[in-house]
Amino acid sequence: MCINRLMFVRSALVTDFDFCHVKRVTIPLLTCYHCGDTCRDEHLRFDEKDFCCQGCRAVYGLLQESGLCDYYELAEKPGVKEERDTSELRPELFEIAEVRDKLVEYSEDGITRVTLSVPQMHCSSCIWLLENLQRVEPAIIRSRVRFSEKELSITFREDRLSLRALVELLRRIGYPPLLNTDRDKKARRGPGVPRILYVKLGIAAFAFGNIMLFSFPEYLGADDSDHLLLKGFQYLSLVFSLPVLLFSSTDFFTSAWAGIRTRQVNIDQPIALGIVALFARSAADVILDIGPGYFDSLAGLVFFLLVGRWYQAYTYQALSFDRDLSDFLPLVVIRKKGEVEEAVGVGDLAEGDRIVVRDQELVPVDSVLREGIGNIDNSFITGEPLPVRRAVGDTVRAGGRQRGAAIELEVLRPFQQSHLKRLWEEHAGTSAQRRPAMPRMIDAVAQRFTIAVLLISAAAGIYWAGKDAAMVWPVVTAVLIVACPCALALSMPFAYGHTMRLLGKHGVFLRDAEVVERMARVDAVVYDKTGTLTAREAYEMRFVGVPLTPDEEQRVRSLARNSAHPLSAVLYNGIKAEVSDAIEVEEVAGMGVSGVVRGLALRIGSATYTQGERVELVPGEAQVHVAIGGMHRGYFVVRKRARSGMSSAIAGMKGMASTHLLTGDSNVDAEVAAAFGEATMRVGCTPPDKSAYVADLQKEGHRVMMVGDGLNDAGALAQSDVGMTVSESSAALTPASDAILDARSLGHLPKALWLTRKARTIVKMSLGLSLMYNVTGVSFAVAGKLTPLIAAILMPLSSVTVVGFVTLATTWAALRAWRSDRNMTKVS
Amino acid sequence: MNVIFLLITASTVVAVLFLAAFTWAVRSGQFDDDRSPSVRILGDARPVKPIESSSNSTTNPNA
Repeated sequence: MCINRLMFVRSALVTDFDFCHVKRVTIPLLTCYHCGDTCRDEHLRFDEKDFCCQGCRAVYGLLQESGLCDYYELAEKPGVKEERDTSELRPELFEIAEVRDKLVEYSEDGITRVTLSVPQMHCSSCIWLLENLQRVEPAIIRSRVRFSEKELSITFREDRLSLRALVELLRRIGYPPLLNTDRDKKARRGPGVPRILYVKLGIAAFAFGNIMLFSFPEYLGADDSDHLLLKGFQYLSLVFSLPVLLFSSTDFFTSAWAGIRTRQVNIDQPIALGIVALFARSAADVILDIGPGYFDSLAGLVFFLLVGRWYQAYTYQALSFDRDLSDFLPLVVIRKKGEVEEAVGVGDLAEGDRIVVRDQELVPVDSVLREGIGNIDNSFITGEPLPVRRAVGDTVRAGGRQRGAAIELEVLRPFQQSHLKRLWEEHAGTSAQRRPAMPRMIDAVAQRFTIAVLLISAAAGIYWAGKDAAMVWPVVTAVLIVACPCALALSMPFAYGHTMRLLGKHGVFLRDAEVVERMARVDAVVYDKTGTLTAREAYEMRFVGVPLTPDEEQRVRSLARNSAHPLSAVLYNGIKAEVSDAIEVEEVAGMGVSGVVRGLALRIGSATYTQGERVELVPGEAQVHVAIGGMHRGYFVVRKRARSGMSSAIAGMKGMASTHLLTGDSNVDAEVAAAFGEATMRVGCTPPDKSAYVADLQKEGHRVMMVGDGLNDAGALAQSDVGMTVSESSAALTPASDAILDARSLGHLPKALWLTRKARTIVKMSLGLSLMYNVTGVSFAVAGKLTPLIAAILMPLSSVTVVGFVTLATTWAALRAWRSDRNMTKVS
Repeated sequence: MNVIFLLITASTVVAVLFLAAFTWAVRSGQFDDDRSPSVRILGDARPVKPIESSSNSTTNPNA
């Protein structure tokens, strides 16, 4: 088992490090027992297991103490690394009465039940651990997970454990709950399968099975001596098919009716017509004692159609694609009145209020910095790659994230008038609903299909009217019955639904099946740079100046550890060396940090602080100057690292779609530029520029997929035909979009695009297949030879073959897409 | 022949009962979450281990 955990991975930070004496070496890296990450910066050994950080080790220790090590057996590396970036959570907020009231469902005699939203749960181990919380904390009586909604319902003794302590416990084991008090519980009950659909499906299945059984004597050739028995069966079938008609198939009638009212032809109209024809014909046959009727076909048809509906609902992702501004901002902020700190809603902030924003928290409103050093990361709003310094008196716009010590701000404008709110309303508040619907292939087919069915049945009716008037009714109903496009209606949900599932396995999550079709028609892909092609939190650096010896690097790292500045953290993570203690450490705000490491005085920070020459800053890069023993030695150039898979994400699009790059920066890194080659690049884009660029492409007749990440891309995402956001974790902030791409899967994007195209071809092929069945059936029907037996065979046969075909074909296509990838990596 | 009618009546009644049971199961939320119940039965076999004995690793095959 331990051998499995030993992975030989290329050290992630060795590229481009020639300048700073980090050798290009391949060293075996250990993976963390808790979260499965490679142990890069830290390596802790505890209980004969490897851990990547204190956080992971602490969680393991806690679980081990409570005898919960089963957690590590139910799934591989189930843990969630504590990510500072995603921890929006402030446990003290759960002490506020209003917040508590919204979460608590029941509270009596010190026993309380709360329902919390825990987006971090993702595997069997998570469920198991969260349901065994009473072993960690005896005050918890019972905890229950609703995995599909990612909700955790906990009953606990509030007299022994406060809600805040409970939240802190959850956070400690890696499952911080989200504070979504604003949302209505009912509206939030996910897009999963509605209960009523199961009931409808169950009733249709029940009727299908029983009516088929009742029909067997008929098919097996029972003679007239059993007339009474046969008649009894027929009436029983009639009774059983009533709930199918009146309850199970109501969705098709409402949808067909909605189509008629808006004067649109949709696929449900011929289906509704077929269902009605089936029932009317069968009832007439039975009551007038003409024949046994087609009740089994009716029940079977509705059953298969409902299976299609169920599958469609089942494949919806449990991700939230529509984001509200309140998802991004803290709902409650700490307002300071004199020395008293109190929590207030963002909407209640008034001009002149003092608020406190701590490390990793978002600034909720436009405000002026009054105390502390602002180190504001605006990457989500503007796409600026590195945090910017703000001094007392500077304006800080809403949406920036403070990195570093807590700051105090004075509110400049109330929330309703803030810059962010306006930006949001201009671009991002829109979801796909506003997007003009691309005509679905299935609707276009349905339109012709419906007209054809009506024409054929009319023609057949006229023909038989001249020949044998008694045959008009049977022939016309037979045509309507057999032309019911059941297989046609099933092919799309199954092909696209299955494609969605396959894409989900590879880190591409689509909003719904329709996105598959829109994606298949994309012929231009527009990438945003910062945060999309380059990583949000990973940096690379090189040293310019007199090269540092490994010993000096070690000192720099030791000093950097003592500074709260984000760039110090980059240095600390980027240099590989042992750390020793630094003494006389002094951090000067906005300048740098100085200290003595092993008898040598060091300074790192700005050029002035280290008495070095000012060097022109390249946008998108930052400099950290180093002075050792009073001598300025040079500076580190720090910039964001390109994501792995970037070049394949661009190169792989060749032949499928043109690629474009938009960036808010004023230049493009050489690495990114090289990957793009001749493709179109546009620098210095403002958010409106980006959406205008996408709109221009659309005017030229292109179907555009926008791949972006932050609010600065939100307008372009909404404008594009397929908006895709790149996200590093499920809890990360992304604007409204059609699809979410796991950042690690960036290189898979061309394959995903290829797969959706294949899926569309497969749907077309399956439409051909199902039309063939319809033609066969109709030829029986117009000849007046459609016996109930033929209908009963044809209906399920066509549905099952079409569903089988599309499922196998899409699976095969996905296998091919991802196998060819393995070959490609081998070659290179 | 009459026995057939009896049989059919009986089987239909049973089938309807099952349908009613299924409908009740759906309405009581048993189909809402098809993931967690399958995990719920795992790992419960071991008794809650008191914290004091945590150093004893015999119950932990990973150690």
